[in-house]
Amino acid sequence: MTKTEDKKSPPSRRKFIMSSIAAVGGVALGGLLFLRDSLLFLIPGGKQQEFTKYLVAKVDEIPIGKAKEITIANKPVFIIRLPEGYKVYSGICTHLGCIVKWKEKEKKFYCPCHKGYFGQDGKVLAGPPPRPLDEFKVEVENSLVFIWIKKRRGGQLS
Amino acid sequence: MKIKDWILERFPIDYNRIVEVTEKAFIKEPIPLHYKKWFFATGGAPLILIMFQIITGIFLMFYYVPSTEMAYESVRHITEEVRFGFWIRGIHKWGSNLLVISLLLHMTRVFFTRAYRRPRELNWIIGLMLLGLSLGLSLTGYSLIQNQVSYWATTIGTNSMGAIPLIGDSLLTFLRGGEEVTGNTLTRFFTFHVTLLPPLLILLIVVHIFILRLHGMAELEGRESEGTYAFYPEHFFKVVIMTFFILAVLSTLSVILPPGIGEPADPSVTPSIIKPEWYFFLVYIALKIMPMNIGMSVLMMLGVVMVFWPFIDEFFVKKMPKVRLHYFVGTIAILTFLVITLWEILV
Repeated sequence: MTKTEDKKSPPSRRKFIMSSIAAVGGVALGGLLFLRDSLLFLIPGGKQQEFTKYLVAKVDEIPIGKAKEITIANKPVFIIRLPEGYKVYSGICTHLGCIVKWKEKEKKFYCPCHKGYFGQDGKVLAGPPPRPLDEFKVEVENSLVFIWIKKRRGGQLS
Repeated sequence: MKIKDWILERFPIDYNRIVEVTEKAFIKEPIPLHYKKWFFATGGAPLILIMFQIITGIFLMFYYVPSTEMAYESVRHITEEVRFGFWIRGIHKWGSNLLVISLLLHMTRVFFTRAYRRPRELNWIIGLMLLGLSLGLSLTGYSLIQNQVSYWATTIGTNSMGAIPLIGDSLLTFLRGGEEVTGNTLTRFFTFHVTLLPPLLILLIVVHIFILRLHGMAELEGRESEGTYAFYPEHFFKVVIMTFFILAVLSTLSVILPPGIGEPADPSVTPSIIKPEWYFFLVYIALKIMPMNIGMSVLMMLGVVMVFWPFIDEFFVKKMPKVRLHYFVGTIAILTFLVITLWEILV
């Protein structure tokens, strides 16, 4: 090492502050990026929407006032025939995700987890559920009952 | 003492200093006389129980398989086929129940003696965190069995987290590892239960005890000069007696009421009668009788009041020195908790 290098004048105050900010900022930015990417890694993302038409019943299969429970992609779905036509509901309680039961005598859906009741129109009759049962769009075609299902990532249906 | 010298030469620590510190911090630690009563030893019980939880938990991990296909089967294998499996699992299961009970007793004692008063407020808050962690460990623990209660408790538990404003949705997806309760949820809960929550629990226990030692054991109000006795031997042997007593209780419970496995998880059927473990009945009732947002807000408010209770209490003590507010609040809290819990157990 030569003596001239030793005696180099110290960096100006402005230069020192600027380079400190650059260094600290760079590290902070790197840290934030790391944090963001870690969060993105942990929370699966990606959304796209597609609809699928799904055959759920034959027209004469269900008598008026009765319901049929089927499973679509591991999810319970209730098809109920009312005098005015077919209604199809998701069997997943809108409160905290348990599966409702159809009580034919009382014409009600009942959720055992926190004692929620829904009517045959899907509306909340009693208990804590915040909104009616999720309903599917129904289409009757050539004596067959279809519903339209929104496809989610990974083929899950809702 | 050749071995000692050999080690000290290679591991050059100040041996005498360590002996001195240990003596001061533990062996000769002055303990106020009223701690001779058993009710005042409830803080030791959770520690002993957590020790048993760690040991039996490690044992269970030798056989448990955290996958949707194998979890239930492996728990059945432990319970029915592994030698002393029902006993180890019984101790772990009953230990978690006794842990919550002993924490509640410890809290009750601290609350009614106002041991949380200045300067020990921070330790009260750390204690509440320990209660929260224990409940988190309990919930993630019983979700690992993959029976109906596990599945639906996980579904309901994560869904109610989803109701938290702003972060709810992300939190739900993070906890479940997706939008639905799947095998991802199981491996996540397994990770929480065995790798994240226990070290956090141990760390907070260390801090809790460290703060306790720094302040010394809390004295009773109005009996500050009652005198003290040393940790060793009397208090130490009390802990030993307690350890054996707890082991005896856990063993007896595992034999008389061995842990069951229930029905395997079935995502397509919610059982007609489904309830969480008893220590979640308060949350369960709140969610049952109130709309979700209000229920969650009430519970969170309750949590906030509990966290800040030492400061709230101090404020009222200064304003109205004659009113013993904590007696009323404590009594009401305990009665409410007991009535709700017993009601749900019996009805």
